[in-house]
Amino acid sequence: MNRRDFLKNAVRSGAALTLPLGIEPFLSIAGGADRPDLAVVRGASPARVTSAAVNELGGMRRFVSRGDIVVVKPNIGWDRTPEYAANTNPEVVAEIVRLCYGAGAKQVKVFDHPVSDARRTYKQSGIAVAAAAAGAQVSFIDERKFKDMAIKGQLLKTWPIYTEIIEADKVINIPIAKVHGIATLTLGMKNWMGIMGGSRGRIHQRIDESLVDLARFLKPSLVILDAVRILVDNGPQGGSLSDVRRLDTVIAGTDQVAVDAFGTTLFGMKPDTLGCVRIGHSTGLGNMNISRLRIKRLTI
Amino acid sequence: MKLKNLRQFSQALFFLLFLWLFLQTESKGANELGYPVKIFLDADPLIWLTTILASRSFYGVFALALTVIVATALLGRVFCGWICPLGTLHHLVGKLKKRTVPKKAAGLHRIKYLLLIFIIVLAILGVQLAGIFDPLSFLIRSLSLAVYPMFSYALRSLFDGVYSSNIPYITGSSEFVYGLLKKTVLPFSQPLFLQGIFVGLIFFLFLALNLREKRFWCKYLCPLGALLGSLSRYAFIKRSVSEDCDGCGACLRNCQGGACFAGGPGGAILDKVKEWENTECLMCLNCDDPCPKNAVSFGFSRKQEPAVLDLGKRRVLGSLLAGIAAAPLLRITPLAKVGAAEPTLIRPPGALAEGMFLKRCVKCGECMKVCVTGGLQPTFLEAGLEGIWSPVLVPRIGYCEYRCTLCGQVCPTGAIRKLNLEEKAATKIGLAMIDKGRCLPFAHNMSCIVCEEVCPTSPKAIWFEEVRLMDRHGKKTLLKQPHVDLSLCVGCGICETKCPVLGRPAITVSNLGESRSKDNQLLL
Repeated sequence: MNRRDFLKNAVRSGAALTLPLGIEPFLSIAGGADRPDLAVVRGASPARVTSAAVNELGGMRRFVSRGDIVVVKPNIGWDRTPEYAANTNPEVVAEIVRLCYGAGAKQVKVFDHPVSDARRTYKQSGIAVAAAAAGAQVSFIDERKFKDMAIKGQLLKTWPIYTEIIEADKVINIPIAKVHGIATLTLGMKNWMGIMGGSRGRIHQRIDESLVDLARFLKPSLVILDAVRILVDNGPQGGSLSDVRRLDTVIAGTDQVAVDAFGTTLFGMKPDTLGCVRIGHSTGLGNMNISRLRIKRLTI
Repeated sequence: MKLKNLRQFSQALFFLLFLWLFLQTESKGANELGYPVKIFLDADPLIWLTTILASRSFYGVFALALTVIVATALLGRVFCGWICPLGTLHHLVGKLKKRTVPKKAAGLHRIKYLLLIFIIVLAILGVQLAGIFDPLSFLIRSLSLAVYPMFSYALRSLFDGVYSSNIPYITGSSEFVYGLLKKTVLPFSQPLFLQGIFVGLIFFLFLALNLREKRFWCKYLCPLGALLGSLSRYAFIKRSVSEDCDGCGACLRNCQGGACFAGGPGGAILDKVKEWENTECLMCLNCDDPCPKNAVSFGFSRKQEPAVLDLGKRRVLGSLLAGIAAAPLLRITPLAKVGAAEPTLIRPPGALAEGMFLKRCVKCGECMKVCVTGGLQPTFLEAGLEGIWSPVLVPRIGYCEYRCTLCGQVCPTGAIRKLNLEEKAATKIGLAMIDKGRCLPFAHNMSCIVCEEVCPTSPKAIWFEEVRLMDRHGKKTLLKQPHVDLSLCVGCGICETKCPVLGRPAITVSNLGESRSKDNQLLL
């Protein structure tokens, strides 16, 4: 049973199973002998940095198998051009799409459920053109494809979720690192708001618990945190170049909590200041103790 | 090739061009549309003339309108018969009617002239009502607000039905077709407009009049037709009927303008077939071919003075007086008083000050058609009867996208100025204010501030204050409570659109503080 069938069945029976708490870390250790937990790569070319980060984790073949349908989920939330660091870097997205095809993916889909008008965000972010040029099927959200799913989280029990992400064999999350009013920062887990339907603004009432529930439900194979440019003020949509810092960095990992935990350090924060990281750690979704993670740093 | 075929070809060409430009009046993600979507309105002499009269200023490009004026003066109402998309639509609907000469044609040709006089008198007095009756404005408004939304709704329902029933093979291919339609003729998202139903009913009523008489609108009601008719009074192209005519009446069957029996048909038809009123002739050339004696011909001629339509002095006087009376009648509303204006009347960014805006806006609906969020809606009486169907932003339906300037780009008369992005960012269309009785962090000690997240200005107009509050069990909680910095807020309304307190949101925008008004201001 692959991921798609598994989740489909889970949805159909209304019982989305989750792995018992605490097992996932063992699984990831069993996966590779001395692979790092996180790869942090810095360099001038976003595309090369991205592929180097994936390589450090064992290459895309570790995450994508021949014939897979892969959903690559960037942040395309805002009507801003790339230099404003409000959306994921288009070159990073395109590179991930290329790597997926290189690993034998049958189809790579790219979409997001933006806050601003989707036509404008897809176009202005540069992602639609870049991802399509890399061969991805870039599509706008089709409202009919939101279906109530049994999230079975601690807080979110059911919510309309975009079915294409559920039906995919593999999911890769590519957020961008930004500050955010209510969530403090928006990193990987916060990016899952982009596959929610319904009146999703409501989850801001208890954002951290909601995000952890979503992250546990969606289980990406890989998380790529784009820190080529980060937004340090006026997040999450920015609007002024003075709020942008250029770090030329991409962080890759499989542990959603670990990636976000590392992400906080980009802003000079401690991992446990971010609610979803803290809760994700304490409920066993992942590990936020950066000192205990094997982190491979590289400059190219 | 027969001239009539040439005319049909021209009609088809302009009709398709019109529809294509209509479909292009939609964002593709860039901030430019790439096509001159408003050229039909630019070519409209009635809109051009009345806007100049009402606003007492020239505007924009007028080469096209002048071309139509000159062409009409030389060739007659070729615009009506060969170009006008509404005329072509009436022509097509008229085909549904049996091909007979009406036993008694209404013979109301004068109404359109009286309407034209009424409109022009009002324009001279500074009231722009032409857009309500102008055929192109009427057509674009009706298509934008009613017909296209209906079309979209019907097709979407059909394909959604097939999609949700998930029939093997059929659903797959229907989704393929749906995908193609979405790329070509369907709107990006379902358009929904207040008053769509009324605008639609009016439109279908006028189409239905073709079943009473073909081209009822063009013959009797169209004020642009009246203007062009007046201009064609001395046109060079004339219809001549040779002595072979035996008055059989075959030419009357397909006359689109009713030019041959304007004097009152019935028993008089036979006497009137030779007569011709060039101001009523749409130059459709339908009367040329069916003549069994081949007696009808069109050409440059100085002989055969055309017949003249008599409006009647009393009627003209009545129309003048009606215009003179209507101007103050429309204006005696307290809405114009400082502080008494309708606060929800949030005009699109770049809209001129209300007085001048109303003198220019022709209610064509282009701005509402192009608005990416669908927030621009037609007014009812918020701007007085004078401003009916003019654009108003309804943030609960859709907000003003911060970096979008499309409405100003498509406005045909400059009622909404074309802004660049710097001007747009500096243009306030109103101010947001928080309702502390409904706002979650204020009224209910719950975390939220979606408004702060979505606020597009830099720095954000919505900021938050971190406060320590006690819950009912005495436990201290830390909450972020939003505030609006009125000097930074541009009134785009995205906070209201996205506020999770649905229905009656906890943050609302009013037009107070709008840049275009000197009086409607709050800040020092």
